[in-house]
Amino acid sequence: MNKIYLWGIIVTGIMLAATGYTLVETAGGKKDLSEVLSGDIVNTLAIAGAVALVIITVFVVIKYVRQMQVDTAGGELTEDSWDDIGEYHNPIPTGWAIIFLVTMVWGMWYFIAGYPVNSYSQIGEYNEDVVAHNAKFEKEYASITGDRLIEMGESVFLAECKVCHGLSADGIDGKAADLNERIGLLTVKNVVINGSNNSLLSEGSSMPGRDGLMNANKDYAPITDAEIDAVSAYVANGMTGEGGDVFAGACASCHGVDGKGMEYVAPNIVTYDMNLLANVLNHGKKGVMGTMPAFDRLSIKQKEAVSAYIISLSKGE
Amino acid sequence: MFHWLEKHPFFFALSVFVAIAFAGLVEIIPSFAQASRPLVGTTPYSTLELSGRQIYIKNSCNACHSQLIRPFKSETDRYGHYSLSGEYAYDRPFLWGSKRTGPDLMRVGNYRTTDWHENHMKDPASVVPGSIMPKYTWLYTNEADIETAYAEQLTVAQFFSVPYNTPIPMKDGSSKVIKMADSIAEANADALDEAKVIVADMKDQSIKDAVANGKIPEIVAIIAYMNSLK
Repeated sequence: MNKIYLWGIIVTGIMLAATGYTLVETAGGKKDLSEVLSGDIVNTLAIAGAVALVIITVFVVIKYVRQMQVDTAGGELTEDSWDDIGEYHNPIPTGWAIIFLVTMVWGMWYFIAGYPVNSYSQIGEYNEDVVAHNAKFEKEYASITGDRLIEMGESVFLAECKVCHGLSADGIDGKAADLNERIGLLTVKNVVINGSNNSLLSEGSSMPGRDGLMNANKDYAPITDAEIDAVSAYVANGMTGEGGDVFAGACASCHGVDGKGMEYVAPNIVTYDMNLLANVLNHGKKGVMGTMPAFDRLSIKQKEAVSAYIISLSKGE
Repeated sequence: MFHWLEKHPFFFALSVFVAIAFAGLVEIIPSFAQASRPLVGTTPYSTLELSGRQIYIKNSCNACHSQLIRPFKSETDRYGHYSLSGEYAYDRPFLWGSKRTGPDLMRVGNYRTTDWHENHMKDPASVVPGSIMPKYTWLYTNEADIETAYAEQLTVAQFFSVPYNTPIPMKDGSSKVIKMADSIAEANADALDEAKVIVADMKDQSIKDAVANGKIPEIVAIIAYMNSLK
């Protein structure tokens, strides 16, 4: 037997032993090889692959070393001779030639019709992306209602609103409005005293401050401090308590007897409704707690969804 | 001449380089210059905003926050319209940043407000649960350096012809004048006027008092800068 085959077998043995040793070591070193292999099919597959790789590698190497040892140059010489240095006929393998030609054809297509000159642009790709996304959104979400809409609203809320209103929509200790209730005492009181210039429902008329609020039940006398406290508590407690007659006298003419607002005149102050929330999202808001920016970048559906989610938060209040 | 060049490979190579470089410059520079001209509606920074920008750089905000929105749907959904080169016309240096440990701030003025920044810089985790941004409490006690901001205004106006005190066209067809003061005292007074508008929306009484006493804490300047990023 040729010495090189002997070496091949020795090297194979060493490499397989090393593979097995590594496997046992990584398994904790306490089991033997057969135990490791019976434990998990991944180990069996790995060692089978390793054995195949080692054997193929070693014998491919042997093939080429043998070829270098015993092969001699041969074949048909070309007719040309350069200072007695000849050249064998050595045609390109067919597969190679085909790939070469295909590459050339592809290259021409690529330059003429493909990437660079055929009006590719980064912004164009972005615009296509947006169109595709909007189409997908339209197809999957444009008509959703009910729980799925609220679910979508929750995800929009978590992305856009939680930064101020908090994860549980409680307004993070007064940093923003608590959305679990319609309106807080602090806010009502501030609005009654200072008025509201949010113009959320109509551009022309904003709610007057205390100077402009008269109690119709008391011959249109300006509203007093005590009345402000009473009506604020009444509204903040969900239209219950002692301020009812002040509300009827000073507020009901715009906000309605039941406080549910009037279209284009005054917002609903008992519960959240779509109309009000859409207006807040479109125009932002400025009040005693701070300023809320407008959310123009949300789509109409997203605004609807987040409104539905907010309405769902305060159900039963 | 060409004969001579062919016999001197070094000078031949040099001439080739010069010829190609010249052609490149002629092609590239005009389009760069065109793209970096200010967009309609891009205005230079006012004194207080520029002071805030210097505070932004001083505190290495740009190490964690980028100011470059790439044209990807996911980014434009979150941050707004992708950035255009003309929008950086008055940024010296630009603050694109290369890493987003925090979010991009290119258009933060569109979706955050003065009082939010006030809460956030004092204790980021109180408004963004899990935020790893440190508290920047010294912004509430340090005073903004209006004089350096004014010096920067003077410099950019003189050397880069930044259009202060000239009408700048806006998107809606109107025009806007960004004022640069004539003296340090006037610059201080202008900055204080801007600061008064900002603190009207703030809650911290010590900041309000400081501005009422003619001082401008750093927080006011940096909020002015944040609000100007649109």
